[in-house]
Amino acid sequence: MLSRVASHLYWMSRYLERSENMARILDVTQSLAMLDPGADSGGAMTPIVITEAQAEFAATKLPATYANVVAFLAWDLDHPSSIRNCIEATRENARAVRGSLTSEMWENINDTWIAFQEKSRAIDPMMTGNEFFEWVKERSHLFRGVTFATARRDQPYHFTRLGTFIERADNTARILNVKYAEGAPDEFDESDEQAEGEYYRLSAVLRSVSALEAYRDTYRDVIDARRVAEIMIFDPKLPRSLRFCFDEATLVLDELPRESSRLPRRLAAEMNAKLRYGSVDEVLEYGLKRYLADFLLDMVKFGNSVNTAYMELR
Amino acid sequence: MHSIKAPPAHHFDEMLLSQTQSQSASSGSSQSQRQSSAAGAERFRPHYAGYADWLQSSPEQTLTQRRAQADLLFRRIGITFTVYGEEGGTERLIPSDVIPRIITAEDWAYLERGLTQRVTAINKFLADIYHDQAILKAGLIPREQIMGNAQFQTKMVGVKVPHDTYVSITGVDIVRNNDGKFYVLEDNLRVPSGVSYMLMNRKMMMRLFPELFLRQSVRPVEHYPALLLQTLKESSNIDNPTVVLMTPGRFNSAYFEHTFLAQQMGIELVEGQDLFVKDDFVYMRTTSGPQRVDVMYRRVDDVFLDPNAFREDSVIGVPGLFEAYRKGNIVICNAIGTGVADDKSIYPYVPDMIKFYLDEEPILNNVPTYQCRKPTDLSYVLANMKDLVVKEVHGAGGYGMLVGPAATANEVAEFAEIVKANPANYIAQPTLALSSCPTFVESGIAPRHIDLRPFVLTGREVRMAPGGLTRVALREGSLVVNSSQGGGTKDTWVLADAGEAV
Repeated sequence: MLSRVASHLYWMSRYLERSENMARILDVTQSLAMLDPGADSGGAMTPIVITEAQAEFAATKLPATYANVVAFLAWDLDHPSSIRNCIEATRENARAVRGSLTSEMWENINDTWIAFQEKSRAIDPMMTGNEFFEWVKERSHLFRGVTFATARRDQPYHFTRLGTFIERADNTARILNVKYAEGAPDEFDESDEQAEGEYYRLSAVLRSVSALEAYRDTYRDVIDARRVAEIMIFDPKLPRSLRFCFDEATLVLDELPRESSRLPRRLAAEMNAKLRYGSVDEVLEYGLKRYLADFLLDMVKFGNSVNTAYMELR
Repeated sequence: MHSIKAPPAHHFDEMLLSQTQSQSASSGSSQSQRQSSAAGAERFRPHYAGYADWLQSSPEQTLTQRRAQADLLFRRIGITFTVYGEEGGTERLIPSDVIPRIITAEDWAYLERGLTQRVTAINKFLADIYHDQAILKAGLIPREQIMGNAQFQTKMVGVKVPHDTYVSITGVDIVRNNDGKFYVLEDNLRVPSGVSYMLMNRKMMMRLFPELFLRQSVRPVEHYPALLLQTLKESSNIDNPTVVLMTPGRFNSAYFEHTFLAQQMGIELVEGQDLFVKDDFVYMRTTSGPQRVDVMYRRVDDVFLDPNAFREDSVIGVPGLFEAYRKGNIVICNAIGTGVADDKSIYPYVPDMIKFYLDEEPILNNVPTYQCRKPTDLSYVLANMKDLVVKEVHGAGGYGMLVGPAATANEVAEFAEIVKANPANYIAQPTLALSSCPTFVESGIAPRHIDLRPFVLTGREVRMAPGGLTRVALREGSLVVNSSQGGGTKDTWVLADAGEAV
């Protein structure tokens, strides 16, 4: 398969996953804001911090209100990671390689894009709400479903999957890094009284990665910060945990051509080993923020190695 | 019941008989009498009987509903073309009409013979002018007409093209005049496009009107991509060569077609940046390393193919490609330099080429063309300018031309001076009427002018899918069928046997 095609497929699915993640983050942020409308709007900046868009948002010179942040991250034309631009980029990448997608996959993405044009005319950015976020998530789910059900398990499929899991792991690590630390001390203290706000904060973290039900099923107990970190980093069965994403990425790499894959395979295996044989106690002892910062750095190295191995036009 | 607006009396309509023709027809055939009672004053040509029956028995809203369905499907599938220089939403649909253009088996057999002959002669002509130049030596075409032509690629002189096949893919534009005869308007020998619309129109029509295809036997066209791949493979001397389709990229107006054909043929769709040349061989960059390319179906113009050989500023080409080509290490389809044969100044000689290379009489008509560089032609043109279309020989897109019947006396006089100043730069042709075909437009079913572009493939033999792309000028009275100027398309049906209606 052409290197350029691999690159388009990989970025197509990264952008789609990014649009979904953005919708998840905004949805949860908004529902938290509704719980406590009088509170200071410091929390409004959280989605900006998670997605590292501080500079872009500052450039708009808008006050950091919930409505402004949501409008910016969902619709802003100049912010490359706004949902609008993610959907545009997903479709542009797909269009560049539509011949490598099944017709159902292409039509699904094209439908999303067409419907998005209508939504962008119909929705007032300052009033963007849950219904829109649900729609974005649903379109992403649909695409994965169509991919799962129609694509042959060869290279286009694998590069599409690789993009999904790399983007997802990156996102889960970011959410954990920011949301978890928000209002909680970096050094985890088990004796902390769980205030009501703490409960909502942690359940919001779980909901943003669709892990609330999984948490209840796994622990059948109150939500505590240690377990939240554990399930999001180490759970082998939760589709948005770091461990799950790297199990998948490792499997995908096994299916790709071996000619120049030595480095990405090694890096994936190393990260996979840390997740497979690590424990939450070690992480907390080391410091969660430090651990996640290391992880995000490793992600960058891994992403670069994937790019060099398969996608660069040398 | 649908009512159909009748065409003006002097037009040739593909579906409807003219008043005088229908009077004589109705006295002879009981079938057409039956239809005429259902259709009111309109009378159908026999090969449209099956369609007319269906149309007369369907409720009025059928076409409206199915057209809406068709639009939705086209948009969903993303069958769009890109419009340059337009703000916002640069992708547009090409309107696809729901009323088919039907061609009889007999007419198609004639066209097929004529096209095969024409394309065969053109290939021999190209091989000749880039090698022996026998036709120039014989004095049939003045040497300066070729050597002074901007489309003549001097770099191609003496370059061996496998099997002497210069044009593997030809799109020939054919119109029917009000005399009922077919005329070749133009041979497109560079990178003819539109075949994807032929295929998508058929797919759409079969999806929307399955009952119509059960009524009569329409010859299939879906195997065109298979024929094309076979043709491309046959262009190489290698067994089972690696074939790619080269596109300028997704901002090209025909990008949909490029992706569509590559996917249908199961070959890679490459851009210049995907390819590189090493030791005069061409490779593509893949996830498993470099892979040799043997045949390139290019949808990129000659001058952009290789910045080392042609335009230096081309960013969509492949440096070194021409050298690899010259050494025979890759086949490029169509060959470089074919444009010299579809230039307006060369077009008048195609009948001569047929006689010269094949020793046959031309089957298809050329539009009579007056070459102003010939004194007798020039004086005729100057005397009859108000009835002629006068064109610049290298012009395109309607520039530098005069449409006599539509021009004022002043404009004619001014243009005459321009022609006199440089006669060799002009040709003139009578104005053709272009046949019409009933088309479903805003005001209902009304006649609109159409043309036909069959696609002719030359491999070890000449092949074509029965039919082609029918383009339709959607504006009333307009003769401009180009998609960039308000043209649409129609599904083109070639019937399996003469006038068969079930």
